[in-house]
Amino acid sequence: MDARSPTVLSYPELVAIFADIFQYTDTLTAETSPDDVATWDSLQHIALIRTLEMTYSIRLSMDEMMEIRSVGDIENVLRRHGV
Amino acid sequence: MSARANALSMPVDDTAIEKLVDEAIAAAPDCLRRRIILPAIDWSEVSPSKVAVLLSTLAQSRLAVPRWLSKLLLLAGHALPEDVEPTLTPGLVALNRINCAGGASQQREALSGMLPGLCADEQLEGDVATILVQKFAALGWDAEAARLALAQQHRVPGILKRVGKALGAHIERLPNVRLRLTGSSTTQTLADEFKPAFAAKGWRADVMQADFGTMLADLMRPAEDADAHIVLLDLEGFAAQDWRRPAADAFALLTERANNLAAALREFSTRSQAPLLINTIPVPAAPTAGFLDRSHTMGLRRAVDLINRHILDTADQSNHIIVIDADQALADLPVREQSDSKLWYYGRIAYSADAARMLARAFADAWSVLKCGPAKVLAVDFDNTLWGGVYGDDGVEALACGEDFPGNAFRALQAECLRLRQQGLLLVALSKNNPDAITAFQRHAGMLLQPDDFAASAINWEPKPENIRRVAAELNLGLESFVFLDDSPHEREAMRRLCPEVSVPEMPADPAERPLWLRRLTSTWPLRLTAEDETRAALYAARREAQNAKAGAVNFEDYLNGLEQRLAVSLVSKKTLPRVVQMHQRTNQFNLTTLRSTEADISALIESEARGMALVGRVRDKFGDHGLVVTATVEITGTEAVVQSLLMSCRVIGREIERAFLGALIEELKRRGVTRVSGDYIATRKNAMVKDFYASCGWQPAGGDEARSGWVFNIGDMESPQSRFVALDWEA
Repeated sequence: MDARSPTVLSYPELVAIFADIFQYTDTLTAETSPDDVATWDSLQHIALIRTLEMTYSIRLSMDEMMEIRSVGDIENVLRRHGV
Repeated sequence: MSARANALSMPVDDTAIEKLVDEAIAAAPDCLRRRIILPAIDWSEVSPSKVAVLLSTLAQSRLAVPRWLSKLLLLAGHALPEDVEPTLTPGLVALNRINCAGGASQQREALSGMLPGLCADEQLEGDVATILVQKFAALGWDAEAARLALAQQHRVPGILKRVGKALGAHIERLPNVRLRLTGSSTTQTLADEFKPAFAAKGWRADVMQADFGTMLADLMRPAEDADAHIVLLDLEGFAAQDWRRPAADAFALLTERANNLAAALREFSTRSQAPLLINTIPVPAAPTAGFLDRSHTMGLRRAVDLINRHILDTADQSNHIIVIDADQALADLPVREQSDSKLWYYGRIAYSADAARMLARAFADAWSVLKCGPAKVLAVDFDNTLWGGVYGDDGVEALACGEDFPGNAFRALQAECLRLRQQGLLLVALSKNNPDAITAFQRHAGMLLQPDDFAASAINWEPKPENIRRVAAELNLGLESFVFLDDSPHEREAMRRLCPEVSVPEMPADPAERPLWLRRLTSTWPLRLTAEDETRAALYAARREAQNAKAGAVNFEDYLNGLEQRLAVSLVSKKTLPRVVQMHQRTNQFNLTTLRSTEADISALIESEARGMALVGRVRDKFGDHGLVVTATVEITGTEAVVQSLLMSCRVIGREIERAFLGALIEELKRRGVTRVSGDYIATRKNAMVKDFYASCGWQPAGGDEARSGWVFNIGDMESPQSRFVALDWEA
């Protein structure tokens, strides 16, 4: 199966995180990116990184911070951290 | 569908799991002893009736419910019987009350009594705080949820999210403060933290951020519509190092930058009357000149010291620049967690999220003290606060306060009270006792405070809230300038309930933690010390410098001379007997015979003046009182005397106190007609330091061996030992 299936999120907590940080309540898919989320700007990106670090008790690197450009990217990073 | 989603959507065999839980509950006593299985169960999935079975199984085996299990059950929403509550933390007690009541309105009233304590509780566990806020919010108790979350947000990240929409409404209702924020790097993360940090202090922060990189310009042309200006300073953003320049040039440049900042601050204070709050630059996470970092011009720490000095000196000259000590504000965070390098490289954000939260709190604390003024009155309880024990029950002799453990912790709190008194706070005695309790300060030798240190007192059996109102009227001060210290949670709760204006901090239960805790209590921090304090301090400093100049190179004799030591010798009395006995039990190093005399032994000795005597000496020097530190017992037979014991506390060793004390002992024996004194040194594993004590005081050897040597002194024939560094007083 394609891991980037448009309908299934491996990390359902992301829905709440996106609602919380970006006030984004539309359907979240792996393809959701800053293009879809109006408030996902470079500053709010920091809040997202920080929330991911806190929620999953992980520490993200500078590369991962850059790598994250969509919800699918977040899921890949989380998977790599063994979450 | 992915494999993972498939696994999740497969039905779980509930009956199998339930059987496992049932068996675990049946075997609860054994599981509990080994601390297995029970911690792994998700108790929120277990029915209340099964939890009841668990509790009764444990009760039948006479096993108390341990706190970890109580906590798991409470977090899962279960109610515990009331008799478990004494073992619980205040947060868990509150949770239990909520779980028991399920939101009854009278419960809300009862809990609002506990709320200020929970808000002020620096030990409230993060998960408990989070659940409490969540439950308050779910019950629709919005005010409680918002207050607790705001009060704890500096310790419990993420707790604000649990309040939900009510938080915004709560903050919206607070009086606003317009903050102009500028800094040497990105200020956005700090701006975000200002909302909750100021709301915790009762203010709605409206933050206006200056453009990036305009710090100095912003200071020199201050915005006029701000209630307060805030400057967030960091080293890298303010003065990045240029390693191509020779070190001397770079340092000259840094000095110029620091001068520019100081000039901008001065310019600000001539142009604006609004307060300006600026932080010092914290200790760098890593040095650039290694071992030389604090001394060499290439060192980051030296650069930090230089910049900070400029800020502090400028603030000293101005009456509205307040400096936040960043090292103090960030003290609970390891230095390498004070910044997050990827954030710096990403967006020139100098401080980590945790550090920004702590700095925001420090700025909000300072604003709050600035706005409301620092506390003016410290109202203190007596029993188990200023001394250990209960005056009315135990009697004055038994109160713990003095140089020794555990009384020294109480004495240290008294010292903190005196410190605050010197900084201009009034001390008020607020004690449930008979009025004569105030005399304990005079009658007990270990007390630092004296009755006249208190500007007012209410020592009676009336409720403390009534007393504090009366004292406030007497002193003509508002209750909002009072801070109330009491070890009793009940007294604190009563005070909060009946006098909500009074500041009632949660004093730690452990007396050992209280002195430092009181130092960290920001509501008592002075913003300025009065001119009088400053001149006095300056006077002392000048005198000290003059002394140092005169002394030149100070040798040990000069040091002893400068100590201004006084030894007050007296016969052991009923009052000093407990301390003398304690010294006999405890002293190992400076102890000639290590005779462990008991209270009865020494009492017998002091009751018959003809057959013996016991002496004790108190040492004071210019730095303070060391208390009763040296003692001896002597048996007398006609004109012969034998020193039975001679011992001294190690805190005054090596200052000739022992010499002066032995001289005093000989003088007293001479007065009683004794002509010859003898004494033994009995070796132990720890007292080698006094092997040659008698010899060094001019006594003659009188046989014996390594393990036990005898010494004699003929009064009249030989010169009595004395010390020119110790002034001797006899006390009745």
